[in-house]
Amino acid sequence: MQRSMRLVSFGLAVGLATTLAACSESGSSGSSASGAAASTGDIKIGVVLDITGAGASLGVPERQTIEMLADQVNAAGGVNGRKVKLYIEDNQSTEDGAAKATTKLLTTEKVDILLGASRTGPSLAMRPIAEKAEKPMVSLAANAKIVDGSKWVFKTAQNDKVVLEKMVDDMKAKGITQVAVARDASGFGEGIPEMLAEVGKAAGITVVKVEKFAPDATDFTSQMTNLRASNPQAVLIWGIPPAAGLAQKAYKQLGLNVPVYQSHGIGNQAFLDTAGDTADGLRAPLGRMLVASQLKDDDPQKPVVTKFIADFKAKYNANPSTFAGHAYDGFMIAIEALKKAGTDSAKLRDALEAITKWPGVSGVFSMTPTDHSGLTKDALVMVTVENKAWKVAG
Amino acid sequence: MIDLLQLVFAGLAQGAVYGLVALGFVAIFSVREIVNLVQGEYAALAGLTAISAVGAGLPLLVAILVAIPVTIGIAVLLERLTIAPVKKMTPLTSIILTLGVSTAVKALMLLIWGPEAKGLPTFPGSDIVLGGVSIRSQELWVLGVAAVVAYGVIWFYEHTVRGKSLRACAEQPVAARLVGISPRTATVVAFAVAGLVGGVAGVVGSPIYLSSWTSGLTLGLKGFVAATLGGLTSLRVAMLGGLGLGILENLVAGYLSSGYRDAVAFVVLVLVLLFKPHGLAGKSSGVRV
Repeated sequence: MQRSMRLVSFGLAVGLATTLAACSESGSSGSSASGAAASTGDIKIGVVLDITGAGASLGVPERQTIEMLADQVNAAGGVNGRKVKLYIEDNQSTEDGAAKATTKLLTTEKVDILLGASRTGPSLAMRPIAEKAEKPMVSLAANAKIVDGSKWVFKTAQNDKVVLEKMVDDMKAKGITQVAVARDASGFGEGIPEMLAEVGKAAGITVVKVEKFAPDATDFTSQMTNLRASNPQAVLIWGIPPAAGLAQKAYKQLGLNVPVYQSHGIGNQAFLDTAGDTADGLRAPLGRMLVASQLKDDDPQKPVVTKFIADFKAKYNANPSTFAGHAYDGFMIAIEALKKAGTDSAKLRDALEAITKWPGVSGVFSMTPTDHSGLTKDALVMVTVENKAWKVAG
Repeated sequence: MIDLLQLVFAGLAQGAVYGLVALGFVAIFSVREIVNLVQGEYAALAGLTAISAVGAGLPLLVAILVAIPVTIGIAVLLERLTIAPVKKMTPLTSIILTLGVSTAVKALMLLIWGPEAKGLPTFPGSDIVLGGVSIRSQELWVLGVAAVVAYGVIWFYEHTVRGKSLRACAEQPVAARLVGISPRTATVVAFAVAGLVGGVAGVVGSPIYLSSWTSGLTLGLKGFVAATLGGLTSLRVAMLGGLGLGILENLVAGYLSSGYRDAVAFVVLVLVLLFKPHGLAGKSSGVRV
């Protein structure tokens, strides 16, 4: 009996080992084959998004945007005659989900370029995999750490540092120096209070209290109670909807009256819906898309933004969010580079880095070897909310 | 001091939702010795149904009056389809079975309502400030509705012939059948009560805590922990346990770190299982959980 057991386990081990060997073999031969055939056939774009879980209000419109744009590109004849094929994976808003999806896209589907993820945490999980595989990747998330010193990774959402610079300018103009921060406990909020203190040093801004919240938190009474006790002159809430909206609501309901600043992570309808009328008067540096109708006619972004909003509305019967905008920028920058360089990884990377003065939805992009994000604080305008609608702040 | 009261009050409202879910666990376990892990999904289901009804243009009250009976109906239907056919039910079988059902229900909710969390509009009323403590009108609704429903369920189980006959099924199944109590009807009634309390919890909590396809999981786990405080058989201790758990969570979040909030319930669960496996009431007649 015992002997037969040992036999079985031995057999299993052998089976497993051979399967693994077969896999890795097919993997290596496959990738060289696709490298050779890279200049013809469909262009494979791998997309990893936060479609379910805490980042769902970001990932769902991003998927819709990318699907819509891929259809448009293919209807117009593709990229230099080659059709674009999407491989969309849901990372369930988790870091390990993002890593698994990325590995799958690179080894099984052998994609030419990666897009994603929606949030910072999952994007940071994807970065080392893309770097190691030497495949270009365009993240749609915010934290500057995603692209700091990277070779293969680019991103389209405005850097958090740029957002804080814009915010500090506004605080300085209003004479605010004592700021309390409630931040997202995941990658998106990581290091924000420290960076605010650093950026705001010259303006005399200090951070008096820091509270964290989980990205899927629903009750913010404890955090806001502690912020209230620190007597700040302004509160900064750094998170994404619905959490950021619920925090905004709790803030008002706990009777805090000092000005509230929010990050650029709030630009969608879910925020306005959850915060309701408590959002009135908040200040946030956001991309121009949300206030498109209030833009001047000579604004280089106006035609891009107006067309995108019209297309999105026609297809999905809803206004696109800033996250949909980040997806637009990510996808179209990839297409721009693919047109110039084809699917050779190294050439494609160089083409991405060479993008200059490219008008997108979130701003006018100029990538450089040291800046793989491409946007300055000019990409942002201070926006406020009035009667559940975005307004350029006075 | 104001901060302490603020945290306690917010905890009470959260705890009332846990308490209602806990009542659902007890309502079923005290009749059939079934641990029903679908309990949390009733809350998510009722919240999402009500949100859709409001979205379709129904007034809030009507939407709620639609969502709760729908939830009760689904609770009973799931019992008929998945619990009733099982010949020999043990607590362990029931856990595995209902875990499967709850996963299936979650997947269906994801298909129907999508991945995003949504909230019902806040019930009528305005927020008040009492001695520095801000009280949200919705929290008063949660507490008020929970008190009425909990009182009603306890009264039904302990003071009506119908309710007492349900418990007789658990204690003496054969004798109960001899005096004409049908275990089949008893089970259906117990699941209907569980659907009712779960549905109410989901609807009153939705404006503050939101509803999504995954919200039932955490709610169910917290409710289960509260129910184990009462040995899964005491309705009163389960309700009070829910309130206590809510307060404790908020105090931990306020004074230690909000990151520990969700750990509180599980630490409590481990402690209960180690030291008071019959529940805090400590009666050995209770079932070992």
